[in-house]
Amino acid sequence: MADAQMRYMDGPAFDFFLIEMVNTLRASSAHAQARARKVEQEMIDAGLLPAPLPTPGMHKHHKDSTASLASRATAKVEDEEEGLKLRLEAIGMHVGANIAEKLCHGKPYFSETLDSIKFVCKDLWAACWDKQVDNLRTNHRGVYVLQDNSFKPIARLSSWEGRQDATKRARVYVMMSAGIVRGALSRLGLIGVVVPEISNLPQCTFQIKLPKPS
Amino acid sequence: MATTSKQYKAIGEDLWKNKSEKVNAELFALTYGALVVQLIQDYEDYAEVNKQLEKMGYNIGTRLIEEFLAKSSLGRCADFKDVGEVIAKVGFKSFLNITPNITHAQLQPTTSPTTKSQSTGATPGSMFSLTFDDNPLAEFVELPEEALEGGLWFSNVFCGVIRGALEMVQMQVTAEFISDVLRGDETTEIRVKLIKLLEEEVPAGDD
Repeated sequence: MADAQMRYMDGPAFDFFLIEMVNTLRASSAHAQARARKVEQEMIDAGLLPAPLPTPGMHKHHKDSTASLASRATAKVEDEEEGLKLRLEAIGMHVGANIAEKLCHGKPYFSETLDSIKFVCKDLWAACWDKQVDNLRTNHRGVYVLQDNSFKPIARLSSWEGRQDATKRARVYVMMSAGIVRGALSRLGLIGVVVPEISNLPQCTFQIKLPKPS
Repeated sequence: MATTSKQYKAIGEDLWKNKSEKVNAELFALTYGALVVQLIQDYEDYAEVNKQLEKMGYNIGTRLIEEFLAKSSLGRCADFKDVGEVIAKVGFKSFLNITPNITHAQLQPTTSPTTKSQSTGATPGSMFSLTFDDNPLAEFVELPEEALEGGLWFSNVFCGVIRGALEMVQMQVTAEFISDVLRGDETTEIRVKLIKLLEEEVPAGDD
């Protein structure tokens, strides 16, 4: 469904933007979390919040202090990674909802959930990633698995970098893609979660979980 | 042989039509818009958001220039005026399919004219302005009042891209928004000024 008005840009340039966007979000997420921790600490100091309970094993023995520092650092890194992924998903949802809106403009909602899923597999995929989903499976109980054997956002990655690095990076990027799917579905009236999975670059699967129809 | 404005335009058109793998630009506009909103939430400071957008653009620009040079096979620019023409007619055209208007100006050079042998004939103090009738980033945007008053330059990534790209070809420039229709101004304009030419440095570790 070609839109005569559709605007294009250079593919690699867009990829560079996405790469740097991830770096920018990583920094902004860390900044926001540091600020939140600071505010929390101020409130603790002012007696407005109770001090956090020591986590098991943390202050047991002073020899553990290095280990606890490391575990706190790991927790911080995990928090930051989580913060980045949430932001990417949120951005994706905004994009997906708007793209779906544009594609569906004027058309009535699909009566069958499966039709909405098919729309995602065909129309949304084509608009965003120039192809259709390669494989769709469902358990007919609200779970759909979409498989793309050469997922565009990550297909380029594997050609630029070593495999391990590329897979790690890819897992971050596809959070945005998962958000796009989730956002598109929400615009179609389907509220659920979308979990991306990469086991074998450039293949990617998206598991959609929708609430069972009542 | 000096390349004329018309020739640059033709080169830009050719690159866009024939050497460009295209993607849906709405993805870019929507993604960028959501990113700006997120940065506003994370930093709570419009000046800082401007800085982060510029920095992101800088990093993009340092990579984009290589892509550009490989694709276009353009040689060194004769002077800063040439640089502006290339950016407007070939750069923006081949990456975003837009051609901002360009006006050239020259400030009085403040430094002594005895600079080292220059890779281009560009004079520090030279500048050009790019005016965007068409901004692909702004397609879906309306800024809230407080962003307008707070000094946000929504498309500041462009300034960074220009600065980063030119630094890789040994030009230190400033690139700043002068006006933006998103802020209610008449035009959307970026002013690019040449500060100085940079020495080519051999990267550490190279033989």
